[in-house]
Amino acid sequence: MSKQDASRRDFLVRAGVGAGAFAGAGLVPDALAQNHEHDKATGESKPAAHAAAQPHSNGESQGVFFNHDQTAAIAAFTERLMPGAPGKPGALDAGVTNYIDLALSGAYAELQDFYRRGLAQLDQYCRKTHQSPFARLAAARQDEVITALEEGKASGFTWPTAQEFFATLRMHTMEGMFADPVYGGNKDFAGWRLVGFPGAQTIFTTADMHSTQAFTRMPIIGLQARDKKA
Amino acid sequence: MATQKTDVVIVGAGAAGGILAAELGKAGMKVIGLERGPRLTTADFSGADELRYFQRQDLRPNTKRQPITWRPNANARAFPVPVQNYGNQAGGGTVHYGAVSWRFHEDDFRVRSQTMELYGAAAIPQDSSLADWPLTYADLEPFYDRAEYELGVSGKAGNLQGRKIDGGNVFEASRRREYPLPALTVDQAGALFEAGARKLGRHPFSTPRAILSQPYHGRPACTYCGFCQAFGCHVGAKSSILVTALPEADATGNFQLITGAMCYRVNSDNSGRVTGIAYYGPDGSDNTIEADLVILAPFIYDNVRLLLLSKTAKFPNGLANSSGEVGKHLMAHITSRVFAAFDDRYVNVFMGPSAQRHTLDDFNADNFDHSGLDFIRGAQISVGPADLEAGPIGTAASMNPPPGVPRWGAAYRDFLAKYFARYAALVAQTENLPYADQTIDLDPNVRDQWGMPAPRLTYDWRRPNELKRIEFVTQKLEELGHAMGATEVWRSPLGSGAPGAHHEGGTRMGSDPKTSVVNRYGQSWDIPNLFIVGSSTHPTMSGFNPTLTIQALAYMSADAIVKRYQKNPGPLV
Repeated sequence: MSKQDASRRDFLVRAGVGAGAFAGAGLVPDALAQNHEHDKATGESKPAAHAAAQPHSNGESQGVFFNHDQTAAIAAFTERLMPGAPGKPGALDAGVTNYIDLALSGAYAELQDFYRRGLAQLDQYCRKTHQSPFARLAAARQDEVITALEEGKASGFTWPTAQEFFATLRMHTMEGMFADPVYGGNKDFAGWRLVGFPGAQTIFTTADMHSTQAFTRMPIIGLQARDKKA
Repeated sequence: MATQKTDVVIVGAGAAGGILAAELGKAGMKVIGLERGPRLTTADFSGADELRYFQRQDLRPNTKRQPITWRPNANARAFPVPVQNYGNQAGGGTVHYGAVSWRFHEDDFRVRSQTMELYGAAAIPQDSSLADWPLTYADLEPFYDRAEYELGVSGKAGNLQGRKIDGGNVFEASRRREYPLPALTVDQAGALFEAGARKLGRHPFSTPRAILSQPYHGRPACTYCGFCQAFGCHVGAKSSILVTALPEADATGNFQLITGAMCYRVNSDNSGRVTGIAYYGPDGSDNTIEADLVILAPFIYDNVRLLLLSKTAKFPNGLANSSGEVGKHLMAHITSRVFAAFDDRYVNVFMGPSAQRHTLDDFNADNFDHSGLDFIRGAQISVGPADLEAGPIGTAASMNPPPGVPRWGAAYRDFLAKYFARYAALVAQTENLPYADQTIDLDPNVRDQWGMPAPRLTYDWRRPNELKRIEFVTQKLEELGHAMGATEVWRSPLGSGAPGAHHEGGTRMGSDPKTSVVNRYGQSWDIPNLFIVGSSTHPTMSGFNPTLTIQALAYMSADAIVKRYQKNPGPLV
């Protein structure tokens, strides 16, 4: 990935806030596909640059907790865990980095040093093994690194261990994909569209309960829309 | 420091404490309830926030401020457990539970005797402290009936006064009348389970749940939103103690609930009686309730901890502990899980009341012949979402992909995208025998936010009887998944030896003061004005969820206190 790409990705990650709480498009994920460019080299896609930016932080790439380099590493790592593709929103689309950044400055503040040290160890491992920080590695190389963490084979990790760091990043990626948008991820219900979850529905009818088809009767609802309706 | 006087003080306003508060208040006794957490209302439950309630456990004790530690054996170091499965507010665990409401089987109350009769004494593992209850199903049946009707439980009878009824649980013990409410609407996971189980000759039925299928006692029916287990009900259709017994207790005019009250000692005097409770208020104040009758009804860890922390010169081993049995015989359900995925249809398991939706009881208790199986007792087998609630965070956390699919990356994303709405989880909730060395005591190293030693669990379920049985029931789950027509069926890896859901034991009831802590009414053998009510008194645990039995026992204890103890405050047995 070029430096320019990395910078743009950072910007887009920062943009992942302020998701609407109500999506009129229902569960059809096609609209999201239009926001993707297909990357011929990796077979994966990236969000296009015209996504509306509603940054909550002071700079393009610095978060509430993460600094510039940490943002780049987390954005790249979480995107490999849940990569986006046409019609399949991924971690960047959902604003997962923004979710984790906000969580670390609030509910998960006790994990700040866990992340700080985990990212430092990741950076050391990548520089030693591949002579480059994680965010600048090619996707296939990034996957190798993640596999090494998952299997506990990455050297140099003390605390957190490589496996602890992987497991936490995986779980927090899932939270950022699938938690209600009020928490700063799941932008425009990207995660819920991906899997076909209708969100904070208040009622399912007997007909819904008897259906063997995908649920499309109602649009996806988030907590804010649900509150307005009540 | 404040001191209040009252007739009765109850520690914990949950499944047991709330019912006792209502019943004793109705009888004219002045009752003070002490609740560690807040008192929430239905308006507080937006419900549908999976991150807050499931993932971050907002209705559970905070594992940092209120740690419980676990170690697999006495030689290992204990660490705080990451999730606590009980409540932390008025209403207790009934606020966030899945509301599954079982009556135990007849043989659940006499496991030791029945096992010896059917399979001989050698069938009982030598290290198990297997025991009969000091009461029978028939003794408790009127109070099961009471609980179902007072609280509101939906289900279908399978044994009406001895008459077996297909469509209900034909293995259940005889009941005097139907459930107060018809069974809940069957979701698609339940429908698949029903058809698959029938194909195999089993006896499936809709799980009885304390969730209203129709309006009842002024509360509305369930809306099938699916946010039950781990969540508070956003319409009050879940028959939690918060919307049932506590309003009843309020209406007596004899009940005062003090929230934010952390009890740290049961006070006693040299006459051999307890005199009340000492507790910290939310402001850190040190307060006392003086009461003629003290009822302990918090979760099992706090029962044990309070008794051990309240030791005096007269009670050097802790209160109610002349038997030395306090803290022993900890049991927890062992869970085995199999996933079934469907390519040709949607299941939409996120709809409908969560947790154990449809059940078969064919492999529970002694409902099947154990001859030649080399283990005793069984499991409730049910169907539902991956981790009892069906949101995508819980699914991603708890549903391991099938063999050959990684846990991350494009292939994982595609797996989740394809099957999130096309799978069902089959779950065996397996009975854990009691063992004296599965214990709760005080952690010497870890303290909670009040400076009290954390309850420490020493426990490992991986014993021969349990391991053989879990393999047996897991094979039944796989068989069922295939019979349901699933495209793919795969196992979830078994967890570590840590205790699972529904912790029971620690102050077991019995017939002999030398080998038990309380009598059948939850009354301490040593101290007649001290009662302990809740699942800590269960001598064995069944494969069924414990809450309705806790509630029936609370009604029974209340009945004995009102009719007999009030007139003659001495030993009831």
